[in-house]
Amino acid sequence: MKIKITFNYLILLLVSTVFIGSCKEDKLQDVENVSGLGGETWVQGPIDKYILDSLTTPFNIAMRYKWDPYEFSDITATLVPAKEEQIIPISRTIRRAWINPFVAQAGAVFFNKYSPKIFVLSGSAQFQYESKVLGSAEGGRKIVLMEVNELRIKGMPNYVSARDSNNVKEFIRTIHHEYGHILHQNIMYPVEFKTVGQGLYQGQNWFNISETEARQDGFITQYASSGFDDDWVETICYLLIEGKAGWEKIINSIPAGTSINGTSQADAQAKLRRKEALVVNYFKTAWGIDFYSLQTKTRAAVVSLI
Amino acid sequence: MKRKYLSYLLLMVVAGLWSCKSEDSVFEQTADERLNASLASYQKQLVDAQYGWKGAIYPATGGVYSFYFKFNDQNRVVMYSDFDKTSAVTAKESSYRLKAIQSPSLLFDTYSYIHVLADPDGSINGGNYGEGLKSDFEFSFNPDTLNTANITLTGLKNATKLILTKATQEESVAYGNGGLGKSLLFSNIDLYQTYFKRITVGGVTYDLNVNTEDRTITFTWLEGTVRKTFTTSYYYGSLGVTFVTPLVNGSQTINGFTNLTWDADKLALGLTAGSTNLTVAGAARPVSADLTAAKRWWQFALDKGSYWISETGFTVAGKEDFFGVRSIPNFYYMLFFPAIASSQGTSYDAFTAYDGSGLMGPAVVPTFSTDGRVTFSVLGTYGTNQLMNTTVLAQVEDASGYYIIQKSEIKYDMVSAKDGRTWISWWYPF
Repeated sequence: MKIKITFNYLILLLVSTVFIGSCKEDKLQDVENVSGLGGETWVQGPIDKYILDSLTTPFNIAMRYKWDPYEFSDITATLVPAKEEQIIPISRTIRRAWINPFVAQAGAVFFNKYSPKIFVLSGSAQFQYESKVLGSAEGGRKIVLMEVNELRIKGMPNYVSARDSNNVKEFIRTIHHEYGHILHQNIMYPVEFKTVGQGLYQGQNWFNISETEARQDGFITQYASSGFDDDWVETICYLLIEGKAGWEKIINSIPAGTSINGTSQADAQAKLRRKEALVVNYFKTAWGIDFYSLQTKTRAAVVSLI
Repeated sequence: MKRKYLSYLLLMVVAGLWSCKSEDSVFEQTADERLNASLASYQKQLVDAQYGWKGAIYPATGGVYSFYFKFNDQNRVVMYSDFDKTSAVTAKESSYRLKAIQSPSLLFDTYSYIHVLADPDGSINGGNYGEGLKSDFEFSFNPDTLNTANITLTGLKNATKLILTKATQEESVAYGNGGLGKSLLFSNIDLYQTYFKRITVGGVTYDLNVNTEDRTITFTWLEGTVRKTFTTSYYYGSLGVTFVTPLVNGSQTINGFTNLTWDADKLALGLTAGSTNLTVAGAARPVSADLTAAKRWWQFALDKGSYWISETGFTVAGKEDFFGVRSIPNFYYMLFFPAIASSQGTSYDAFTAYDGSGLMGPAVVPTFSTDGRVTFSVLGTYGTNQLMNTTVLAQVEDASGYYIIQKSEIKYDMVSAKDGRTWISWWYPF
């Protein structure tokens, strides 16, 4: 049956289209009413003010200390929030031992360009089968710091140097470790670095060797022996946090003899020194930073906190 | 022709209007409006409770813990907790907020007493490595819980139950005055040197068996000649100890114990039960023995082809490991192995110590009496350990025998019938 395209037919078609098309659209909701949009709000207190003044306003860094379940990537992990009395000492430590040395050495523009902008705190560590996770970095943007409830820093009540100074150093190292990753993810470290420890890396087996065994193979820590990237950043953060004298002391304490893998004492020491040299050179050529000067500043800050 | 146009027009208009029919909404307000209203309503209810809230938390690993919360409208909450003596009397302030996570939720977002239960560090709460007591600090409001006498919440991670009940002025004041600390004195019942503890309320004599770790209490009494028992969980509050399920015995209802006092010199616990002020008395024998418990205990291990263990040996007059068996080199535990072997046709049990390589101590033949006791006669000894073969042996073969009290499926206590002041706790670990 042929449909006669008549004038009537066309009018019908046209008007129907117009009618359907003119349906009132759903009005966009009043966006102010969406719960939680624009960030969470709570009544600001002294801790919030401190963070605003010392981290957010000068460096655009957010310190998310109040519990938010969505901040942690592993939702199956059992974690607890941070204790309020930890927040200001921790923020102060972050400024003094990490932000200030880099800003003093390389300038605020450099620091603000590459610094992670969000810190998230967990009161407890993330317990895993063989070990505890103390920190993680995500996309150069966020650093998660864990087990902050166990941290005692010089100046806090109950601080005992003999018991607590190692934890403070570990905390500071965690930040420098993650920051080290961010830097080399922007400008890669020299390829030669991978050859220094060639054949000696432990991979997933890293937690089965001791610190001494690692150093006997020219790795500054067991974790450094797990792979190239962590070897790189562990070297950086030990250099900075231990300082020149501390680093030398570690190298000189490598026991005489040969490691299980056949590395001699002299060889191990040479490897660590070569790694140090590569780090220093990298900071100069990639970022224009005098590493030894940065080291002096960082070490001085660390000493004031332990 | 005109009519045709008219009908087309009508058709178009109707079609046009119909296609514009907007979806009918079940609610008058949008989802966000309702969510915001809900959060505001819960917030108001939490803050408006003039004297704060009592909270009972039931973590996944068992037991019940009680808290006191006082919320203000500045996102601050003050807490007390019955977790230990310090948290009972020291107020701790931290923060909270309400957030829409799938459903309206209450988040205790900085660390305080409530988080101690959830802390994955087992050394903090005695829980499992990496899990703690499997509790929660983020809770969603149960539906329809608004404007009821209690507020019921469910934990987001472990479905922990939290029940909030408004505190009275008296209760609130008592928290501030260390009332919760006084209630914790109830746990001193563990310091009694006799195994059996007795109270008489409304003319009925009850034996109390309290597990202060799991926070449960078992009442045993006689109704005529019938042995009756009742068990309930309890939690501490600022005025005393509250039973989750009250004891109802005829016309007598006991909801808990109040006015707890402790005399450290006399080792005596005072309390009020119902309307009776009393002191818990020690007793040498049970008010009513469980006549089949001894045989059940013996048979349980036999059926498993295995044995009971005790890591702490005999407790005498409140002193654990009174005989010092733990000083035996490489001591693992004491064990009781029913029908371990026979000698010349006589089956015997091992009631010995074990050090990883051999047994030390008496081999015994049990006799089960009709009044519920078990007595042991020594057939011989294993090994040459002096302590086990003389001192402990003498205790084992004590002619008074032992009453056996079942604590759980895998826990039994063996109490000397001589004076109720010597006992050993067995459990099945396999």
